[in-house]
Amino acid sequence: MAVTGSSLPGADALRERVGAGAAAPSGTGESAFDSGLLDRGFVSESSLSRWMGWRLRLLVVAALLGCLGLFFLARWLGDPPHIDATWRPNAQGQLELAYTGDPQLKPHLGLALIGIVGGDVSVAVADVLTLQRSSRWLIADNERHRHRAMHEQIATALSHHSVRLFFSDGNVVEMQLQRRGFAGLGGMFWLLSAFALVLYLVAMVVLLARPTGLNLLYAIMALCQTGNLVFIAVESTLELALPAPFPRLDMPLRMAFDMVTAAALVNVVCLHPRRLPGAGWIAIMVWAGVAAIVGATTNGLLADVWWWTQAGASAMGLFVIGLLTWSYRIEPHPFAIVLRRFCIVSISTWMLLTVALAAAAQAPGVQNNIAGIGSMIWYVFLGSLLLLVPFLSKSQQIMREFSLLAAISTVATSLDLLFVAVFSFGQFASLTLSLFLSVGVYAGARQWILNQLLGSSMLTTERMFEQLYRIAREVEAHPARTPTLLSQLLRELFEPMEVLVVDKHTTATRILADGSAIILPVPELENGFDPEAGARSIVLRFAHRGRRLFTSEDARLADRIVEQLRRAVAFDKAVEQGRSEERARLAQDLHDDIGARLLTLMYKAHSPEMEEYVRHTLQDLKTLTRGLAAPTHRLSHAAAEWKADLTQRLTAAHIELGWNFSFDEDIVLSVVQWSALTRVLRELVSNIIAHAQARRVDIDFSLEKDRLDLSVLDDGVGRNPRAWSHGLGLGGVRKRVKQLGGEVEWRELSPRGIGCRVIIREFSGRR
Amino acid sequence: MAVKVLIVEDNPVARSFLCRVVRESFSDTIVITEAGDLETARRQIATQSGSSAVTPTDPFKLILVDLELPDGNGMELLAELARYPATKIVTTLYSDDDHLFPALQCGADGYLLKEDRFEVLVEELQKIVRGQPPLSPAIARRLLTHFRHGSGGGDTAPAPLAPSGFQSSRPMPIGKGAPLDHERLTPRESEVLTYLSKGFTIKEIASLMGIKWFTVNDHIKSIYKKLNVSSRAEAAVLASKQGLV
Repeated sequence: MAVTGSSLPGADALRERVGAGAAAPSGTGESAFDSGLLDRGFVSESSLSRWMGWRLRLLVVAALLGCLGLFFLARWLGDPPHIDATWRPNAQGQLELAYTGDPQLKPHLGLALIGIVGGDVSVAVADVLTLQRSSRWLIADNERHRHRAMHEQIATALSHHSVRLFFSDGNVVEMQLQRRGFAGLGGMFWLLSAFALVLYLVAMVVLLARPTGLNLLYAIMALCQTGNLVFIAVESTLELALPAPFPRLDMPLRMAFDMVTAAALVNVVCLHPRRLPGAGWIAIMVWAGVAAIVGATTNGLLADVWWWTQAGASAMGLFVIGLLTWSYRIEPHPFAIVLRRFCIVSISTWMLLTVALAAAAQAPGVQNNIAGIGSMIWYVFLGSLLLLVPFLSKSQQIMREFSLLAAISTVATSLDLLFVAVFSFGQFASLTLSLFLSVGVYAGARQWILNQLLGSSMLTTERMFEQLYRIAREVEAHPARTPTLLSQLLRELFEPMEVLVVDKHTTATRILADGSAIILPVPELENGFDPEAGARSIVLRFAHRGRRLFTSEDARLADRIVEQLRRAVAFDKAVEQGRSEERARLAQDLHDDIGARLLTLMYKAHSPEMEEYVRHTLQDLKTLTRGLAAPTHRLSHAAAEWKADLTQRLTAAHIELGWNFSFDEDIVLSVVQWSALTRVLRELVSNIIAHAQARRVDIDFSLEKDRLDLSVLDDGVGRNPRAWSHGLGLGGVRKRVKQLGGEVEWRELSPRGIGCRVIIREFSGRR
Repeated sequence: MAVKVLIVEDNPVARSFLCRVVRESFSDTIVITEAGDLETARRQIATQSGSSAVTPTDPFKLILVDLELPDGNGMELLAELARYPATKIVTTLYSDDDHLFPALQCGADGYLLKEDRFEVLVEELQKIVRGQPPLSPAIARRLLTHFRHGSGGGDTAPAPLAPSGFQSSRPMPIGKGAPLDHERLTPRESEVLTYLSKGFTIKEIASLMGIKWFTVNDHIKSIYKKLNVSSRAEAAVLASKQGLV
């Protein structure tokens, strides 16, 4: 089993170390990091554990660096002086003062700003280009140059603490600028940078927990998106202009981030969930292509950088979807399906964003909105996807919540873009409307989305309970079949493509290989029936016919089912035990009370016939109580006792016994069968002893193919059995045989004697 | 000298019946002491044997004990009389191994089923005293399981029972040299037990094994002894572990 092989122990070691180190909720000793990308080990275990301590320290260092970086970034952004004001484009395409906390500026609300003079730098503000947050999302190259130049100029002007602002009505305001401070950076900055920090930490944890090629690629993607998020966070602080290096670095870096992410994704998909043929070549070509584009654009060799970036990323995204489809055809790993879904959603929104932006080129205000809000939502969405991937097989709950987030944000973004582009709504109105509509759409399509994303459990609860109790009964009857029966139940529950029972000891149920398999130990439902049982496990692979991932909730569900099965079996056993105790008590009472009285009666009998009659009754009572006390009798054991008993009685009567007993299966007799056969045999022999004056009795018993043949032949003086009075004795025989579903007949033998023949055709039919 | 017999049985009708059986069974002069419960039985044994219960001067040679007595189970008495030099026989209505096996473990030398006919009881009693105890298939099966799993006792087995007056003079096949013999059956004994558990009669077993029928009986007797001794060794080990001895 490749799945259960080398990758597991390493993951266990990891789980402990990383769980403790990353301060993850490790109460149960189980952190999220034993699955996802970590499960497939390329590193041998010994070197893994040797390097763990070193990695842990590195992780702490990385976390500290991240926090420090964020702190210095915020400090640096808060340091330069700023104008406490919010600007917006007006109908003429001018920069209008929308809001201010500064009493000096209050009278100028609603006026357009046309120029800034700070020290020896004067900047003319001709249009609203400066409000465009990111030059990455400017389509035209020359616009981007102008944007950069304007930002740099305004930033320089503002860096002087005293500035003069020229308004459209000719007024000039002279202001002393204040430091911005941490509080002035705005909530959006802190939210986005916190998200970036989380993404960065997850990337570091994944990479350090198991530094494999795949995890490195994941870390690259996550770090690139961290970079993007940091840029977006910084740009969210924009009032009039960004501090110096950002406008210049924005396009080259962010474009590189996007391209590298896409290339790394292609590379990952080549290797995971399955290594594709020619994976190396595909990866090399993609990386070379990306390097060429990034190199060419940075050196200014390529015009229309934005178009190249968008097209390159879209092409790679489509390529990834193709690769994932191919991979799923080769091996139906559910991870491929989930990844493909994610890719389809993110690529389609990416392309939508591109098209919307290009379509809105004529309306600068609208374009500005799309570029700012749309791209931000998209990057946050991608970042959360990346964040989710390592935890995919951990919890269905995360998936569900994420699907909610993804669905709402996707629908909201597209609607927002649509409204803004087509109907030229205001930013706030369009966002509210689209959010409202998307929540509605989500509520309507929720079940469908969940089914699409997760696959639904086909087995209804009712059927499952039915199965559970049926299996419990069967397990009780045949403890050795526990693995088979349990596999069958789990097969119906999870619909896996493969169910295996492996001779491998597992201590707990868990998910393997990125959620493509689940392993659970075969429980010991019956005490001590098979010492080997604990060392076996059931492995299920590819849930829902390979279209769904196993999650830790599935593991818990499987555990609960096993627990329920255990309880059902224990309950059945307890009931059975209670019944047998009750029967035993009843038998004891009957035996002690009635038995002792019958015995006294027997000793006091006035005639031998009476004594014999009471003895007979006493023996029947004993048979009855014995049957009550011991509910099952093996045929061979019963036969031994019949023989011993009959031999003793016949010997005492000086009659020889010929005993012939054969059976093809040593079945377990029920109480009814045992007591009926016991009494039939005893009755027939008693009859012979009492009346036949025989010298020999031949008893033939055979049970073959469920057909019971019993013949009792004597060489006595009896004749004409039809004329016998069927008193208590022979009537009892008829009754017992009928009870077993058979027939009995007596006939004369030549030269002498009587033969009695009992035939029961379906012996096991009446139990 | 008269042979002294103790019959412990609460039902007076059954007691007199058993008295008749005992008198019919032996030609010796018989002195029968009757006891209706365990208390009386203990007193009788004490007065008969003087101060020491283990080495009485004029002991009972035969003790019949009912299992269900008003003030307790006959097995208690059997256990107390583990070293008493008498042939101890359980008389009961129970013929199943669940009841009889513990009694045999307590040191009974055989059992009689009270509902059997007078002649049958006489014959069975004579057989037991002669050293041919009964062994039903169920008990034989139980014995096989018992010895197969081993009683786990130590090797400090107490000395075998002193021979009682009625015992046959045939030497016991029980090995005195090997300390572990008391918890192991010889292959022959196992074979006899296996045949018995399948319902074969003594004669059939003798012919199947190619030995005399009384040799089969010797094996059965030996198995009885081993069961008793091994269970007593078990008890001794248990007692010493619990600090009782």
